[in-house]
Amino acid sequence: MHSTASESIWVVCPAFNEARTLSGVLSGLTAQGYRVVVVDDGSRDSTRQIAESVAAAVVSHPVNLGQGAALATGIAFALARGADYLVTFDSDGQHRVPDIARLIAALKASGADYALGSRFLAGKQRMPLLRKMLLRAATAFTALSTGLRLTDTHNGLRAMTRRGAAALDLRQNRMAHASEILAEIARSGLAYVEVPVTIDYTEYSLAKGQRASDALTILLDLFARKLHR
Amino acid sequence: MIAQAVLSVLLAGVLLHGWTQMRRSPLVAWLSMAAAIVGLYLVWAPSHTTELAAVLGIGRGADLILYLWVCISLNLLLSLHLKLRAQQETVTKLARHIALANAVVRAEHGQAVMDTAPPTVPQLPGGADTPTRMRGQTA
Repeated sequence: MHSTASESIWVVCPAFNEARTLSGVLSGLTAQGYRVVVVDDGSRDSTRQIAESVAAAVVSHPVNLGQGAALATGIAFALARGADYLVTFDSDGQHRVPDIARLIAALKASGADYALGSRFLAGKQRMPLLRKMLLRAATAFTALSTGLRLTDTHNGLRAMTRRGAAALDLRQNRMAHASEILAEIARSGLAYVEVPVTIDYTEYSLAKGQRASDALTILLDLFARKLHR
Repeated sequence: MIAQAVLSVLLAGVLLHGWTQMRRSPLVAWLSMAAAIVGLYLVWAPSHTTELAAVLGIGRGADLILYLWVCISLNLLLSLHLKLRAQQETVTKLARHIALANAVVRAEHGQAVMDTAPPTVPQLPGGADTPTRMRGQTA
């Protein structure tokens, strides 16, 4: 049992054309009693139908906006539903459901408002070398640009308190959203902890994930945000 | 003289445009205004271009103008890019409102958190407590 009757945990699953993996991911979550809101980001496959048959709630973007936008929509929905804790969880099957309980437990134990999953805290993690180097570079970039000392900056598994979620102002629709969330955490001044989690790399999740060449796009997006309004 | 008058009017337009962009994007505004002022100066003192070009290490005055033009074009591209991003944010807000207003929520998810029964509960669109719900909309 992960939650008492008095508190509600909402798991936000952004999904874009995830029909292949979504059903398994969602049944794993609902079996543990989590309330799941799937944000269908304008999928063209049966993602929405699958989500509606399993998840507690489905919100659908009329057009594809990007994972960052989907997360922001899901967070807005969960806050409106009175969530006490919010979890972001990728729909491609790379995260493990038991890790959620550990993130929530870390929030409660530490009193922090954000618990960020890290695949590097747990010790050895099998992953492609290029991906490892890229993630190291992202870690260094985050330390320089936000001052956050993290071991893993691009992990889709995070938990946050209601207060923490409400403090985020997310405007990066696409790839730069992971960096933006960290920048917003730094700006909020609220406490955060890192919690070891396991990422299951599959051919599917690697193919859907970001590529090395996306790093430049991310840097440009982050820079562009600083230039207007 | 005619060319100078026409160019002056055009550049004054750029100057004004830059000034109006000050609140939206200060960087673009300053670059536009600087370009316009330099342009005005060179229009009325064309002989200075050659001297200025020499100072900057550029061969001819005409080349200097060409380079400046390239800089102005890049600035315009940046300005357009930022406008597109602002538009994208507006579209995002709009799409988010639509998505939240049309949320498909199970009738009751609060009780029986361990319940793994098949989802036979009828799905109801939206929720009364979703603040983004549009007024007067019927479910």
